[in-house]
This record gives sequence, C-alpha cells and structure tokens, in this order.
Amino acid sequence: MKPFRILTILTLWILALALWGAQTPPVRAADPHGFAYTLGGQVSDPQGQPIEDAHIALYRGHDTQPIAETESLSDGTWQISLSEIPSGELHLHVSRAHYQEQDIPINGALVQEWRASGSYVMEALTLERRVTSGFWAATVVFLGVLLLIAFEKLHSTTAALTGASLIFLVSYFGSAWISPNLYIITFERALEYINWEVILLVMAMMIMIAIIEDTGIFQWLAFQSYRISRGRAWMLALILMALTAVASALLDNFTTMLLMTPISLQIGVALGINPLALIIPEVLASNVGGISTLVGTPTNILIGAYADIGFTDFLNYETGGVLMALVVMGAFVLYHYREEWHKAGNTLSPALYKRLQENARIEDPQALAKALTVFTLVMVGFVIGEHVGAPPAVPALIGASALLIWLKPDVHHMIKAVDWTTLVFFMALFIVVGAVQEVGLISVVAVAMSNAVGTNLPLATFAVLFGAGTFSVFIANIPLTASMLPIVEFLTGNIPGANSKVLYYALSMGAAMGGNGTLIGGEANLVTAGITAQTDSPITFKEFIKIGLPITYLTLVVGYLWLLIRF
Amino acid sequence: MPTILYPTRGGRSSYPNQERVFTLAREKGANLLLLYVSNVEFLGMVARAKVVDLEEQLDNMGEFLLAMAQERAAQAGVKAEMLVRRGEFRQVLSEVVAEYTVDTVVLGAPSEKTGLTTLDFMRTLCAELSAETGVPFLLVQDGEIVETFTPGEDARQNVEEPRSDTGV
Repeated sequence: MKPFRILTILTLWILALALWGAQTPPVRAADPHGFAYTLGGQVSDPQGQPIEDAHIALYRGHDTQPIAETESLSDGTWQISLSEIPSGELHLHVSRAHYQEQDIPINGALVQEWRASGSYVMEALTLERRVTSGFWAATVVFLGVLLLIAFEKLHSTTAALTGASLIFLVSYFGSAWISPNLYIITFERALEYINWEVILLVMAMMIMIAIIEDTGIFQWLAFQSYRISRGRAWMLALILMALTAVASALLDNFTTMLLMTPISLQIGVALGINPLALIIPEVLASNVGGISTLVGTPTNILIGAYADIGFTDFLNYETGGVLMALVVMGAFVLYHYREEWHKAGNTLSPALYKRLQENARIEDPQALAKALTVFTLVMVGFVIGEHVGAPPAVPALIGASALLIWLKPDVHHMIKAVDWTTLVFFMALFIVVGAVQEVGLISVVAVAMSNAVGTNLPLATFAVLFGAGTFSVFIANIPLTASMLPIVEFLTGNIPGANSKVLYYALSMGAAMGGNGTLIGGEANLVTAGITAQTDSPITFKEFIKIGLPITYLTLVVGYLWLLIRF
Repeated sequence: MPTILYPTRGGRSSYPNQERVFTLAREKGANLLLLYVSNVEFLGMVARAKVVDLEEQLDNMGEFLLAMAQERAAQAGVKAEMLVRRGEFRQVLSEVVAEYTVDTVVLGAPSEKTGLTTLDFMRTLCAELSAETGVPFLLVQDGEIVETFTPGEDARQNVEEPRSDTGV
C-alpha cells in the first residue's frame, strides 16, 4: 500500500475519532474543592437567548483589580469560586462586546446569605444590545457577500473569503487604528462558528460519491428505464424523475445530473421527442428528492448539524412531503409536455440501439457491488449512530476510508474529487454569518420576524417555508440557509410548539424547492443547461422558468400542507 | 471525391439542415465529414469539483448523435464519416479544416426560437473562417442556403433571406 494512501486513511480515522470525541462538551465548571464559596448566575440577551463569553468580574469597592473573574458558558451560565468572601462593598461587572456593560452591586443581605449557605445563584442578568460601528461594518460586509454571490460578480468562494478577510481586517486593524467601536469578532471566536461536522460529512460523502458514480450505475439505470418504458415517453419521464429523486436523496443532485443529462439527451433524441421533456423534469425532481435525507442536499447537512436533526428525522418528517410534491410535479410535467408524448416513436436501428446500450454500460460491476455494500452500511451507520451519539460524519468518514482500502482507487483522483472549493466556501461563510450573529444583526432580523408572526406557529412555518423558497429562486440556497439558521433557532425558542423543529424542516423544504424557480436557482440547473447547450435543444432561461416557477410554488404549497399535517 | 464538412449537434431540429446538406453532397458527388464539438467551459460557472469525466460522457453523446446523422445520410445515399472533437468551436473548426482536405464547409444556423446564437453571429463566423481557411462556407437555416462565403471575394452572395419566424 502506498504511504500516501495509508496517510489519507489514517487521517480520515483520526478525524472521525476526533469528531466523535468532540461531541462530549468539555466541562468548564470550576473544581469546587478548595473553594468554600461560589457565586453563579446566567446571562442572556433581551430575547432570552444565552450569551456566551460574557466577562463577569467581582470587585471590592473601588479596586481596579477584580477579586475573581470568569466567562459565561454556551448556555449563558457562569460561576465564580472563592476561598473566602472579602469584607467591604462588592459589585459585579458584566461586559461583552456588542452589549451594554452592567455594574451590579451585591448588597449586604445577599452577602450574608452567600456566606451562610456557601453558594448563591443570582437572578438572571439581561444585557442590552449595543449597535456599534462594528455592527454596521459587519452588516455591510455580509450584504455585500450575498449580493456578490447573487449577481455572480465574484465566485462564491472568493466572495465569502473576501467577506471573512474584511471582517478580520475591520476587527483587528480598524478597531486598533480607527475606532475601538469597529471591533466585530476575534479570530478565535470566528473559528468557533465553523461547523466541522458539516465540513467532514460533506468531504466524506464526496469521496463516496466519486467512487459510486464512476461505476456507470446511473447511465445503466437510465437505459433500463428507456427499455422498460418501451417508447412511452410520458412513462419514461416519470421513471427518470423517480430515479433522479432517489439518487439525489442518497447522493448529490449536482453529480447525478452530470451523469444523467448526456444519456437522457440521447434517449430523448432516440425517441424523437424534445429531450428537454425528459431532462427538465429530471433536474426539478433532483432538487426536491434530496430534501428527504440528511445527505441529500448541502442545506440539509447544514440544518442537521445546526439543529441536531438526524438521518431518520429527515426521513420521518420530510419523506411524505417529498413524495406528495413529486406526485404533483409529475402531474404538472405530464400536462406541460403533453404535446411531446405523442411525438415519441422507437426510431432506433439495431446498430444505434447497441451504441446507446454501450454508452450506458456499467463500467466495473465488482467495484459497484463493493461501493453499494459500503454505502448501504454507511446508511445503516447513520441510523445506529443516532443511538450511540455518533454524528453522521463518523459513519461517513469510516465508509469513505473503507472504500479507499477495499477498492484501492487512485487516491490522488479521489482527493481531487473532494470539492475543496465548496468546503472553503462553507468555512468562510460560517465566519461571515458568525460575525453578523456576533454583532446582533441576526437578532434584529429574528426579532422583527418574531414580531411579524407572533406566536402563531402555522404562520411562522409559512413565513419560513415560502420566504426561504422565494429567496432561493434568486440567490444560492447555501448562504441563505446558513444565514437563516440562527433566525429559525430564535423563532423555535420563542414560539410555543416550535420545539418539534418544524421550522427547521420548513427551511429545509423551502431552500431546496426554491432552487427550481429559475435556471440560476441551483448549480444542478446550471450544469444541466450547460450540457444541453452542447446539442440543438438548449435549456434557455425562459424555457426553464415556464415550468420551474409554477412547480416551485406548487411544491411549496404541498410542502406546507404536509408540514401542517405532520406537525 | 470532394469532401463537405458539416458540423452538427444532431437532434430533430437539425433535420431540415441535414437534409439540405445531404442534397448538396449528392449534387456534388461529395463525401460528408460530420463533426461534433463539445466544450465543457460552462463548468467554470459552477463552484463544484468535477467528479465525473464529463468530456467522456459528451464524447459518447456526440458519437451517438453523429451515428444517427450518419444513418440518415446513408438512407439519403450519402457516405458520411464521423469526427468528435473537444474544445472551442471556432478553433476546432479551423483546425479540422486545416487537418482534412475539405472542399466546402456547411454551417447550420440554429433556430431563432431556440438557438443560443444569432444569424448575424453565424454570418460573421462564416466570413471570418472562410477568409482564414481559404475554404468556401455555406450558411443554411431551416433547410435553405442563407448565404455563401467565398474566400477572396468581398461581396457575399445572398441566396435567400432567412425566415425569422420559423425554427429549425
């Protein structure tokens, strides 16, 4: 075995174990031994959300040096431990960037009680938000990144990286040289916003997808669909839609469409119909099919990791809605292309049939069998992992390394197949979104949205589903989802009944279904259009929107009805 | 025997132009060289790793589309060879003309309803390539010759005005 391959596999294993280990949060509570007195409490913002890393210092009188100090944990709790309570006036100073500072006197009665019992828990502290120059700087950078991505002025990864760089530039150099109020976030704090579970899961899935899709399974399935349909184009369209929906649920719709489009074009031409009557329904189905599993779309991976929604949760709570949406979509497709179905005829000569069959052959049946075995085990691993506390990235990393060992593919090729551009995009985006969370922009939007929907859960579900769906028509759904997650978290915490996580499922459906609205709604749409432009049946923006936009809103309505029924 | 080079992207909407080329080949007693050019530059629009060897997939697709055209040519009594190339269309076309002994190039203008290029663009392309390669170019649309481009001649010979309201 080559050293490079061993190194890669070892790295994957170490990452998997590290990730698993990271699931147990470190205990930050101070060791009580040796300390006779503890003072504790909780810090939160005006919306009741806990504030992490607030600095709490205990002072005596007018001393400039604190007696003791600590920082709040992720749940907003804090604790100060002392071996003895000093005499004299005491007060607590609570500070946190982007919040107004507070000075809280500790009166004699409190001290007396503290001294008597040894520990005392103070009333919850609420810190008001402070809008600083840093708030506006972060907001401008965040909106700038979204606009650059939406209008394709910069590559999305370049735009996100530029945004992250500007955040640090303003935070460090701007706050040092121009005004301290320009401070946004520290580098260390920004790194905490990067969700490594997402990064590692996406990476492992990319390796597995590269191996499975290299085998030719999807081209073969498309050809079998053609055979089964026996020239009935309407039936073929429905079978291909089902096929791409399932493939996208288990793998990745972008790569699935890269493989399905050329063979579908050939089948369409062979049938004598406009191939777009097969291909556009396929890409629409691929965008919706991915909703039903954790690994079906990058947005689901984001949502799953953020809200702790597992593989079986997505299956349980979204598959029904996806099936209903696919049925409605199928009916609309049959109606929209009704004239094409009559044109179909089996015009292929035996020689052309053989050529088509050759183009759709399985390249390596043995590799396919092994890849499918491991992939099935990974799916089982997702389910079992939920019971032992292993995040989905763990079985995915184990599966990816198992495939590398068993199939021994060219590791250099496999590593190249990992979409580093997207992974870097994710990391930079997490930092930019983290920055606007830090300065309070997300809270402002969340409060505004909360005021608009009140405590009405169906209305909130509608707002999240149709809001995400409509925005995804025009802008990339990954940055949209990453930005909306803290808002949905806030709404989930404030609306009665929302702890069922229905709003997260609404976000998942909206972000994916909205991708069908226009040609620029998703990368699968764009790449499919690029392939069809190699023939005399190119997908134009107008052609796509004529079917894509009605289907987007039809499926959103179906998705909404499903969520109302399910929750 | 003279050779007519005919780049095509296959499909039903190309059939009228294909028929015209078959007729031309029969009239001139020429062989046909069918060319399919794929270009994966569009992948630069998306920020994803290229897991799939798309060029190979497109080569297969091109061969299939040309094989269909080849069968249709045989049915029309014309002998046709197939050629699949990768790259930027203009450059590839220029290279193929230089590489093969080509007497005439026929370019089909796509339908104005569904095509991604305009007739004016195709005219300019034909004029430039004809001057560059020294080979006559014919521009056809909807099965009719729209214009001929002869190297060394400034004036273009309009054979028929294009019908702007019909697709190929």
